[in-house]
Amino acid sequence: MFIFKNAWISITRNKGRNILIGAIILVIACACTITLAINNTASDLINSYSNSYQKELTLSFDRKQMMKDFDTNGEEGREQAKEKFENIASYSVDDVATFAENDHIESYYYTYSFSLNGNSIEKAEIETESQPGGFGGRPNGKGQNKNSLDFTLNGYSSIESMSEFINGTYTMSEIRDNAWDIAFDGNYVFINKELADYNELVLNDKIKLEDEDGNTYEFEIIGIFEDNEKSVDSMMSMFSNSANTIVTNANALVNIDNSNDSIKGSINPTFIIDDYENAEAIQSDFYEKGLDETYVVQTNQETAEAAVTSVKNVKSFATTFLIITLLIGGVVLFILNMINIRERKYEIGVFRTIGISKLKLTMQFASELLVVAFVALIIGAGVGATMSKPVSNSLLSSEIESSTNSSEQMKNNFGGMGERPDGSGGNRGGNMPDFNKMSGTPNIQAYDSIDAVVNITVILELLVIGLSLVFVSSLASMISIQRFSPLTILKERS
Amino acid sequence: MAKKIKENKKIDIKDNVILSIQNASYQYSDATSDEYAIKNISYDFEKGKIYAIRGRSGSGKTTLLSLISGLERCTEGTILFDGKDLKDINLDTYRNSQIGIVFQSYNLLPYMTASENIILSLDASGQKIDNKKQKAIELMESVGLKSDYADRRVLRLSGGEQQRVAIARSLSYNPKMIVADEPTGNLDKQTESEILDIFKKLAHEEGKCVIIVTHSPNVCEIVDEIYDLKKVK
Repeated sequence: MFIFKNAWISITRNKGRNILIGAIILVIACACTITLAINNTASDLINSYSNSYQKELTLSFDRKQMMKDFDTNGEEGREQAKEKFENIASYSVDDVATFAENDHIESYYYTYSFSLNGNSIEKAEIETESQPGGFGGRPNGKGQNKNSLDFTLNGYSSIESMSEFINGTYTMSEIRDNAWDIAFDGNYVFINKELADYNELVLNDKIKLEDEDGNTYEFEIIGIFEDNEKSVDSMMSMFSNSANTIVTNANALVNIDNSNDSIKGSINPTFIIDDYENAEAIQSDFYEKGLDETYVVQTNQETAEAAVTSVKNVKSFATTFLIITLLIGGVVLFILNMINIRERKYEIGVFRTIGISKLKLTMQFASELLVVAFVALIIGAGVGATMSKPVSNSLLSSEIESSTNSSEQMKNNFGGMGERPDGSGGNRGGNMPDFNKMSGTPNIQAYDSIDAVVNITVILELLVIGLSLVFVSSLASMISIQRFSPLTILKERS
Repeated sequence: MAKKIKENKKIDIKDNVILSIQNASYQYSDATSDEYAIKNISYDFEKGKIYAIRGRSGSGKTTLLSLISGLERCTEGTILFDGKDLKDINLDTYRNSQIGIVFQSYNLLPYMTASENIILSLDASGQKIDNKKQKAIELMESVGLKSDYADRRVLRLSGGEQQRVAIARSLSYNPKMIVADEPTGNLDKQTESEILDIFKKLAHEEGKCVIIVTHSPNVCEIVDEIYDLKKVK
């Protein structure tokens, strides 16, 4: 139709006007592309992280719940509390297996722990005055003290339960070739390099440990690991927290435990669940299956969500920026279109005089704007695609920095040790809060670049948003064409 | 009130009458009830004749021209074109196929070339012509413009040349009637004479009805009839 030919002539012959409109749309398109790319990529990251992150449920002892029934200020109350504490039914490997028979539980693993003394080896320890024995010099350890046994044995039920190795706290420095084939069955152990050096032990050596009754147990060394965790210990210590930790498999420890009444092992199960929303239902099921109600279930939801906090912040910022850009861009385009139409009044008068209908005229003006908008949107998308990656990574890097700072701040707030963040207590050498996991900083390192991608979805979204914006902002000017009287226009001209 | 000089006004439509204005009045939308731009005008315009509409400023010349050219509809009375009431005709179609309009200020689109302005009018009329550019050049030549001017932007043409382009544009769809508003108002005497010759040729040789709104005595000398408009009191 001739109106499109006219539109093209008008576009190509009125470059200044169209470049101005195009430049504004290009800036809007560029900003929209960046924000849409960040938004979509952030959503994908959050979804993919959410899908890949293992939803874990653990059992913990609710001390507060137990203590609230007793007046611990008085001697009698403390005795009652102690009695209650001693009578709390613990749960066994079989109990855990029963608990795991739940539709919402996909799998489970556990660690089994107890302590033994050295027989053929000595504990890696040097007593110093700055290392009060009452705290065993290991505030982040398993509550060792002078009366405790020399070595903590941690038995893992499967490779996925070896969280210290998974999160990089421990790294294997030496390992026997077939270690992983035999690691989960039999008396095989991984020992700390510090303990190995202290006792001059090497791979394939055998070590003997003994319980309080003097029964000895022999283990074969199939791996030596190093502890990478930076000590948060304010006291000087030659050895790392895990120097006297011996890693083995849960079966070996359960067998030892079953064969000897004097050993009291503790099981620490982790259940992989289908959805965090089912945690309460699972807890109820556990209680029905005999779990003492002083235990409560806890999930890693907070940790999992904290890991994508930075990405969520960037996404939220991008959305806000997009809305503001569209609002400002819409207003600017509206004003520009109104000025444009007033400027073209004479042209409208001429077109109307030679018998071009209002509808065709509106279509011509609209198609002019759409062509300019379309070209500007495509160029804007190209520029935006180029800029979106560095911009999004820059935004995320500041988020990571702020996240790291807040993590450091939290460490400082607690003096690096001591009280739990919820104020529920904790003592020196007891259960320390894991500061790193609270802010999700270690996990977010995996997203040290967001790498926003401009894909077909972004382009389509941009076109829909851009063309809608152009349509809405030009609506008023298009309507005003209908109201122009050629007589009035030509009279004004005269 | 209108005054007919050479001929008494006739309301009955004769065979030769192409346009008949019968008791036409026009009020602007923001005017008071007794305020008229024109009131009770009755004129007949015949094929093959040139008419002049004269009047002082404010007498309603441009308003009358707008009513004749279908840019506005009269608020009272009737205007018949070829026996049909303009109220019953699509005025866009009327303007792009039945009537050619020429203005004092040419009203060409400045960003287009001379031929593009003419082709635009051809397109608007919906005529199916294979080579519109050639047709535009022929029209330009018929009003005394060289074909070299076809690709020139109209702003690079003189006033007389622009007016010739405007006339060529108005002729592009071979209308039965040409309406011109002060077509020589911006032109020198020589050019005015040449433009008027074109109009005479269109009326007397091609049988079109030419209506010229003018102040110019030169124009009044060459027309067949003059209608004087007086300001409505």
